[in-house]
Amino acid sequence: MSTAHSARLPDAAAPDRGERAAGARLRRGGLRFGRRLQLVGAAFVLPALLFFLAFKFGPMLWAMELSLSAYDMVSAPRFVGLENYAKLAEDPVFRASLINTFVYIAGSTALITLAGLALALAINTAVPGARHCMTAMFLTNLMPIIAVTLVWRFLLHPFGLVNQLLQPFGVGRVDWLTDENLAMPAIIAVTAWRFAPYFMVVFLAGLLAIPKDYYEAAEIDGAGVVRRFVHVTLPLLMPTLFFVVVVSALLASRIFLMPYIMTGGGPGDATRVLSMLIYETGFSYLKMGEAAAISVVLFAIMLVFTVLQMQIFMRSERAHLR
Amino acid sequence: MTAASRAPARRPRPAHLRSLRRWLGAALLAALTVLVVLPILWMVTTSFQAGEKMFQLTTEWIPTVWHPENYPNALSRAAFPTYFFNSGVVSVAVMAGNVVFCTLAGYGLAKFRFPGDRFMLLLILSTLMLPLEVTLVPTFLVVYNLGWVNTYQGIFGPLLVDAFGVFLMRQAILSVPSDYIEAARIDGASELRILWQVVAPQCRPALAVLAVLSFRDSWDQFLWPLTVVSQDEYRTFPLGLVKFGEYYGNPATEQMAIAVLATIPVFLLFAVLQRWVNRGFGLSGLK
Repeated sequence: MSTAHSARLPDAAAPDRGERAAGARLRRGGLRFGRRLQLVGAAFVLPALLFFLAFKFGPMLWAMELSLSAYDMVSAPRFVGLENYAKLAEDPVFRASLINTFVYIAGSTALITLAGLALALAINTAVPGARHCMTAMFLTNLMPIIAVTLVWRFLLHPFGLVNQLLQPFGVGRVDWLTDENLAMPAIIAVTAWRFAPYFMVVFLAGLLAIPKDYYEAAEIDGAGVVRRFVHVTLPLLMPTLFFVVVVSALLASRIFLMPYIMTGGGPGDATRVLSMLIYETGFSYLKMGEAAAISVVLFAIMLVFTVLQMQIFMRSERAHLR
Repeated sequence: MTAASRAPARRPRPAHLRSLRRWLGAALLAALTVLVVLPILWMVTTSFQAGEKMFQLTTEWIPTVWHPENYPNALSRAAFPTYFFNSGVVSVAVMAGNVVFCTLAGYGLAKFRFPGDRFMLLLILSTLMLPLEVTLVPTFLVVYNLGWVNTYQGIFGPLLVDAFGVFLMRQAILSVPSDYIEAARIDGASELRILWQVVAPQCRPALAVLAVLSFRDSWDQFLWPLTVVSQDEYRTFPLGLVKFGEYYGNPATEQMAIAVLATIPVFLLFAVLQRWVNRGFGLSGLK
């Protein structure tokens, strides 16, 4: 699942400490009750944990090992040390893909965040019909990505709707997807179109959680719309904002389908990203070791965002316990 | 009201001006919404268009002649009924897996204290950096060694539990009062029964969000099925749609017909669960 609803933590009571003490006084089936509860708790988590060991941690460790070998699924893997990484460092396609991935992550994260916030602020004005507008816009987030991609490939066609709508403004024919300077921005825009409405909802939840009194107080102090936004909304929305940035960056680092269908990585290598390179290297050329090395690089990028994400989580958790 | 009676810094605007501003704002927001959903409308209208009307220099928003036969035509050109069925099987399995396993794990992490519980939570959260795109090659090798290439379990297996789902359920279950759980326990209810009859009913909003998002994410999957499926009979609809677009030079109108059909199940699921989804997102305060 790509996204999260956790910007706002529920106002939960920390699990009751008394529970354990009370439980300890009971005995059941030979085991002390508290001990039994511990086992039950762990047993609930076990299936998910086993799943993650088998399909996440196991494969990642395997990828690290594979990245040090040459393997084509026909003959047995052969240890080659850092050769795969050395090859990547010299590969211009890899370098281009790495840069593209960063550009894509930065561009789409910025656009998703700004658009999501702007939409949420617009809905939060609570003008008549705001709620219906929100539901309608959220639909873009439910449209299958493959449908989004195919629709936008037609819309961005030189004779497509986008150019038709821009024509009255004196914009001539624009080759959105075949111009190497425009293809990446176009894909970023489509990404924002698909994902911003989701984060609109996350922002909206954050906005609704800000007590109305704060705005009233600011208004009484003579703060206008802008100052209320800068001094009340923004500081209180900071945790949500930070969360949205990290989650959309994590989302963006996984991009595959949009460039794969809309541009095929082109023109040239202008929109080739790391996930495409992993797929091509591994499954078109059967260079599993090299593909694993690219995976490790992509993993390193995601690691940064995940560490950030965890810090947000730990901070909110501590705020809770206080 | 004491606050309002203190000297207001601004004169209140006349009522009619305020209401004008409100309606102006509503009109602007409505216009923005139409602009945002325009591609969806385009998809629908194009799916009913005549093939030769594509790439004219104007878009005909309401077809002069409706062509509903685009739908059966598109469906019959490739094995789309099979593809949709496959996607359905996989997505329902993924949705069920997430709802069950994320709820179990979320309950264990929210309401029990045991050695290593924090560590387990962080371990699970850290899998966010290990999406299939990153572990593509070794995950394929795992599935390959299990003999699951070209099977349903091969497609849905690696998607069965998601860390965000676990986190979502943990957060939701944290706010269920522990007293209820204890009371049920003292009454002798089994742990699973407590989860099913006491905890789950209080988490309907979160469960609805989890169901919609996990279904959508699985319905969306492209790279993984592309990697693990090579036989036509196990293709999911996104793979079919790409093949359809590539090999047959098919008219855009028919591609859009399939795109519309592909969109309907997610919209429907959302419509059915919407009442809870909004609450799950924390939007209950929205008028």
